[in-house]
Amino acid sequence: MSAFKRKRGGQAHVGKKAKKVKFVADGGEAAVEAEQEKRNEGKWTNKERVLIFSSRGINFRTRHLMQDLRTMMPHSKADTKMDRKDKLFVVNEVCEIKNCNKCLFFEAKKKQDLYMWISNSPHGPSAKFLVQNIHTLAELKMTGNCLKGSRPLLSFDPKFDKEPHYALLKELFTQTFSTPRYHPKSQPFVDHVFTFTIADNRIWFRNYQIIEEDASLVEVGPRFVLNLIKVFQGSFGGPTLYENPDFQSPNMHRREIRLAAAARVREKQMVKEMQKMKRTEAKEDLARDVTADVFLTPADEKPVHIQTEAPEPKMVKKNKHKAFKRQRMKMW
Amino acid sequence: MIEKLLKKKNLQEAFSKGLLKPGMNVLVDKPKKLVNNVEGMKQCLAGLRKDLPWVERLDLTNPPAEDVIFKAEGKAPTASKGDVNADDDFQREMFFYRQAQATVLEALPLLNKHGISTKRPDDYFAEMAKSDQHMQKIRKKLISKQLILEKSEKAKKLREQRKFGKKVQVEVIQKRQKEKKAMMTAVKKYQKGMTDKLDFLEGDKKTSKDSSQGPKKAVTKKGSNAKRKYKDQKFGFGGKKSGKKWNTKESYNDVSGFRAKVAHAKSGKGGKKGKGGGGGKQNKRPGKSVRKKMKSRS
Repeated sequence: MSAFKRKRGGQAHVGKKAKKVKFVADGGEAAVEAEQEKRNEGKWTNKERVLIFSSRGINFRTRHLMQDLRTMMPHSKADTKMDRKDKLFVVNEVCEIKNCNKCLFFEAKKKQDLYMWISNSPHGPSAKFLVQNIHTLAELKMTGNCLKGSRPLLSFDPKFDKEPHYALLKELFTQTFSTPRYHPKSQPFVDHVFTFTIADNRIWFRNYQIIEEDASLVEVGPRFVLNLIKVFQGSFGGPTLYENPDFQSPNMHRREIRLAAAARVREKQMVKEMQKMKRTEAKEDLARDVTADVFLTPADEKPVHIQTEAPEPKMVKKNKHKAFKRQRMKMW
Repeated sequence: MIEKLLKKKNLQEAFSKGLLKPGMNVLVDKPKKLVNNVEGMKQCLAGLRKDLPWVERLDLTNPPAEDVIFKAEGKAPTASKGDVNADDDFQREMFFYRQAQATVLEALPLLNKHGISTKRPDDYFAEMAKSDQHMQKIRKKLISKQLILEKSEKAKKLREQRKFGKKVQVEVIQKRQKEKKAMMTAVKKYQKGMTDKLDFLEGDKKTSKDSSQGPKKAVTKKGSNAKRKYKDQKFGFGGKKSGKKWNTKESYNDVSGFRAKVAHAKSGKGGKKGKGGGGGKQNKRPGKSVRKKMKSRS
């Protein structure tokens, strides 16, 4: 591959403009070279390279997300997992070795929380995010498809222009995610669009495929939500420029939930205890009945008649009939 | 500093100096100061910015496009259009979708101006982000979902039909039972001698006449009348049958059942018996004397 790279710039390749390129799913080598030579006409000036890698301890979803991002961004480079013991500024050195000027670094903590660093490598600003709600390319609900390495349109919410930290992030995103023109691995068509929207103090990322010219879209690519934590002046360090007041670390969040559950249980127990106490409490006898006068009427009261003898048994109606019948018979 | 203050001596000193007021003094944490270095950020942004033509960046900032569905339904668009409710999944996704749509609508003419195409020619084959195999899987899943939906729809319809059919069947059976009951009571009445009218036999016909079709009357009447009458007489409910004599003078003299055509007709269609054999004796059977003579001869 590298040998062919140097061949670029020769006049022999001008005539190969209209060459048909057929790609097998695994991608034959010959076709790749033909494609590279095809795009020789314009020169690749915007030398933007992004290093995408992660720390150890990531789970499958994060790994797939990284792979998907590498697929989407032909100007990206991969690297092996970084050891957690090394300090963060080591990342800068790795970037320099790989000759990259932007970096997307994924860090997993506790095998649960995923943090993403985005930075402009040598001196530039960097930002740390908490990543949530990851859905990868391979999910069957993402029905769209796009060319591998095609240049994306970037769409930003107008809210990005209102706050200085959002404006800074917008610039960072633009430079990181947009594929440079005439990049050797890129495709000359524009057939998908990345959207960055701000909702609920988080940045929502979506990737749509453009099907028709009338802007009918289908979702393609990975989707995730970024929760800004801090913006630093330097790359992976330096003074803090901005801290997100609404950010709550996932640990605190889990702790809050646990405390709430515990508080609920405690409250229930307390209520039960109170009820027990009330029941076993010695109840005082009331000397005066408060409700005694409720039914007193001004009319005369009936004299109290105590019955000493049992009342006479009532005559059952059933027998009445028989009495009559017998009488009848007697009469006959 | 806080630890220092808490020491008794320091507290006393502070109180004497007038820093602490009398009464309850509660230790309160200083509210956490969050960094928001606007100036620093602006400087950073200025340093970061690269002057690239739009063609290189392809970025656009725009609010979402008009909500066509909302307008079609006549609902007033949400006042807080800029503020999406992140919990309402559908609304949120539609918001993102519309934002992307607005971008695309705005960007396409710009792209055309710069000569970048968005449509892929049909003969341009290149590697896609998702493999063909994967797309097949997706297609299969969508088809299976549709099938399941259709099946459930069919099942529902069938169930409805069956319920309806069952209802109709029940109704018909009930009607028949009612008629039978009425007939039985009428017959019993006749048998017991309460009514000597055989109206109930004709009652059915009368009611059926009224309900059934008019023009078909003349056709079905004669044919089934006689047959029906015979069958009714033999198997029906009207009149005494068991105690009667069969072979009376009247029945012997009754030649109403004689059909000359049937009696004298040679069996039509080549004969029922004479298909295979074809030998004599299919049509005419000789008389007793002739048969005796033949017998004695053979």
